[in-house]
Amino acid sequence: MSSRWLGAWPAIPALLLLFVFFLYPVVRMLGFSIEGGTLDWYTKALGESLYLQVFWNTFEIAFWVTLICLLLGYPLGFLLATTTPGWATVGFIFVLLPLWTSVLVRTYAWMVLLGRNGVFNRMMLEAGLISDPVPMLNNFSGVLIGMVHVLLPYMVLPIYGAVRRVDPALVSAAEGLGASNSRIFRRVYLPLTLPGIFAGSVIVFVLSLGFFITPALLGGGRVVMLAVMIEQQIHQTLNWPFAAALSAVLLVFTLAVYAAAQRFTRSADA
Amino acid sequence: MATRPTGLKAADLKVSGLQKRYGDVVALDGVSLDIASGELLTILGPSGSGKTTLLKVVAGFEKPDAGDVRIDGADITALPPARRDIGMVFQHYALFPHLTVRANVAFPLEMRNVPRAEIDKRVSETLQLVELGGYEQRLPKQLSGGQQQRVALARAIVFNPRLLLLDEPFGALDRKLRETMQLEVRRLQRRLGLTTIFITHDQEEALVLSDRIAVMNKGRIQQVATTTEIYERPANDFVADFVGESNIFHGTVTEPGVVSLEGGRRLFANHSGKVGQRMGVLMRPERFGRGTNVFAGEVKEAVYLGVSFKLRIACDDGLELIVRQPARGPLPAPGTRVNVAIEPEDIHVF
Amino acid sequence: MNIMNLRRRQAMGLAGAAAMSGVAPALAQEPPKPAQIVVNHSGGSMGSAMRKAFFTGYEKKYGIRVVETSPADFGKLRAMVDSGNVEWDVTEIGGQDAIRAVEMKLVEKIDDKIVDRSKYPEKVRTPYVFASSVYTTIIGYRPDAFKNDSHPKSWADWWDVKKFPGARSMRNHPTDNLEFALIADGVPMDKVYPIDFDRAFKKLDQIKPHVNVWWSTGQQPAQLLLDKEVVLATGWNGRFYDIIKKGGPIAIEWNQGALKQGSFVIPRGAKNAYWGQKMLAEMSIPQQQAIYASELGYPGLNLESLNYVDAKVKPFLPTQYIDKQFWIDDSWYAENGTKALELWNAWLLKKA
Repeated sequence: MSSRWLGAWPAIPALLLLFVFFLYPVVRMLGFSIEGGTLDWYTKALGESLYLQVFWNTFEIAFWVTLICLLLGYPLGFLLATTTPGWATVGFIFVLLPLWTSVLVRTYAWMVLLGRNGVFNRMMLEAGLISDPVPMLNNFSGVLIGMVHVLLPYMVLPIYGAVRRVDPALVSAAEGLGASNSRIFRRVYLPLTLPGIFAGSVIVFVLSLGFFITPALLGGGRVVMLAVMIEQQIHQTLNWPFAAALSAVLLVFTLAVYAAAQRFTRSADA
Repeated sequence: MATRPTGLKAADLKVSGLQKRYGDVVALDGVSLDIASGELLTILGPSGSGKTTLLKVVAGFEKPDAGDVRIDGADITALPPARRDIGMVFQHYALFPHLTVRANVAFPLEMRNVPRAEIDKRVSETLQLVELGGYEQRLPKQLSGGQQQRVALARAIVFNPRLLLLDEPFGALDRKLRETMQLEVRRLQRRLGLTTIFITHDQEEALVLSDRIAVMNKGRIQQVATTTEIYERPANDFVADFVGESNIFHGTVTEPGVVSLEGGRRLFANHSGKVGQRMGVLMRPERFGRGTNVFAGEVKEAVYLGVSFKLRIACDDGLELIVRQPARGPLPAPGTRVNVAIEPEDIHVF
Repeated sequence: MNIMNLRRRQAMGLAGAAAMSGVAPALAQEPPKPAQIVVNHSGGSMGSAMRKAFFTGYEKKYGIRVVETSPADFGKLRAMVDSGNVEWDVTEIGGQDAIRAVEMKLVEKIDDKIVDRSKYPEKVRTPYVFASSVYTTIIGYRPDAFKNDSHPKSWADWWDVKKFPGARSMRNHPTDNLEFALIADGVPMDKVYPIDFDRAFKKLDQIKPHVNVWWSTGQQPAQLLLDKEVVLATGWNGRFYDIIKKGGPIAIEWNQGALKQGSFVIPRGAKNAYWGQKMLAEMSIPQQQAIYASELGYPGLNLESLNYVDAKVKPFLPTQYIDKQFWIDDSWYAENGTKALELWNAWLLKKA
């Protein structure tokens, strides 16, 4: 018993840090949301169609971002895990670049590329592919593109790790036993990298739920996510209890998603 | 006892002139081999000898730089592994960890689009054959090492391959289990009449299992022969040294029936060498007893091995010998003076 | 709120009362000079203009370094005052926020003995809020899209998408847009308040499909026009002036613009409140305000400051067009702002 506790000592600084900078603020925030001993702010958050709509929007965007990240991230992670170390390094630089770039620079770059007079539209117009500029910015697709760009690394890295963990002998075995490439993928790689897919999807989904700057700048104001709403309550209307209630609901949803994914992964693992 | 799966189609294998380089490293340097239908050939060699590369080339995981691989006369050198119909058991089995025993064994049949009913039948037959009936729903990690080995074997033979490749399959098992499995594989292979290549670095295992052994070193086949021949009449130093315990010396034929070793010692030995020819001399430790060639010396080291004593003897003429003697009487203490002898016909000259 | 906080507040209240009673002569009691004071503002080009117009002079005069932070953030102001850890000595604040900040007792009174506002219009000489400048939300357009002065010249024109075709951009906020909608619908500029939400949103419904971008940051409208993302954008005059000054293809229609005052306050409990007052004093000097106006296009409210502005700059100052424009009613927003914002959010989310 005592020795088990002794073993926990090295974790204490981290736990303390978590407590001071995470747990305590969260509890404070929850306290705000029920200030005055009333659940009115929760009733408002979950009762008014405006906020339900925003919750729904937020989940919808998070879902699409996760799906697109997965569709792009899986082949990318797979490629990085199976190519030569030299190419993998080059690939990683490209994948991780968005993480090292400021949001504003990134966002402005997308404006230059995707705008009505942006590089893509002008190229397509000149090539005669389209007769009017295609709106790619200041709408849902703009937000998706911007968010996918930022969140892709969070999908690629766990998948890369999962693919790397697949024993090459299993692939040889499947090949020797008569499996075509597509079957090797479906029967060996896909099931064995499922934990990586789950991990990446959960991270991307959860991060998407809290996204703020990208939807505000690339969505043209049409795409309203919950974080934007919370920001308004904190900075503009100064309704902190309501902001806290919205945050608490978001937190609960996030934890629920996490728990569900955790269960799913474990059952797939067993 | 389960019946023999139907429709077996064991084939003969012929590889010729195989070359394979990895950068500066020559992995295969002109390897040619013939394996008859139903034969078990062991490829024996130390690590880095090229035996694994040879296996990969046969299985199709590596393309040779030159040479070809033929099964029943048909050139399969360019064929991808999936289309070679070769069963393979990997070093660490390579069982699919996410699939049950049944699904693992069914895998090659599913890949061949065998009808479901047929799959069920053949999987259960094969599992019976390897004595794993009742384990269908287990996952590999719920099995012991020996059981995993059997699953791997079942998976490799369930689709009636033309050839079975075993890549050091017993390395991970403890000694006792290994011996059981060796005999079992041998029994199965004989019963099914499977043409089999078995790869090992363990010479004892090679002697137990094989019809013939091919000894490899530095990308070349050193000798292909029956087990007795490999042991009794190795073709060169490497084979003599690698297979079994040995006392190897070099000398010159000074007159018919006599080889004079470096250092002057004259040995009477049966050989067909000409006077002046340089030759190798092999004396197996267990062949010492009475004989024409007598060595006097002092015991340096003595080990009790149950059925025998193993002695290291420093002879008065400067030779050092490893000798085995039946374990009778007390173990000679170091320093004890002894005489050992060997008959000319027990000395192999090469 | 805990007891500690309460005590601190009471103590400060007492100190404030003592200061106001005028017992002590100001000069004798001048507090010691700090090494630096912190001025918080919107950031961007505003920072460099303020430095040129006010901070450099202040630093020279008093030997106190001026540290700048940004952006203006009402939530942060409240958090600082509530927690008793006030980092700012002077901060910019939005118009309607200023009224609420006074109500919530988040700001210090302006000391008129230090800050001379005698040349200010009566209306803006309020006890707690320093009116720093005037700005207006007006129509920015691309002259190449509307040649020969054929651009929209009123909000009714702005709503007339047949006569004035092209993509538009408006602010993602109820303020300005509700007023513009009512004016477009025929309400006279001086009868806009109190705002009739139903009528305003009904009118906004008509323009919604033609608005490509609902902008959220001040630099967006000019950028959208430059990128030809839209041909018409509402925006703050200074942002358009900045592009026009550099020869960019943007022009301004001043008619029916929505005037607002830029405001600065001293947070309650500011560590160097006295030296903050001195900063506001610097910001009230007409010559300095003229420099600021030439830089940004935002004139100060010292009526004398226009005397010092270059004739070339004057056409770009909103004070030249006050009679064609209307003032945003901050007190109405202080009362109804939250409701307006909620309705606005819901309206924006509504599928057209």
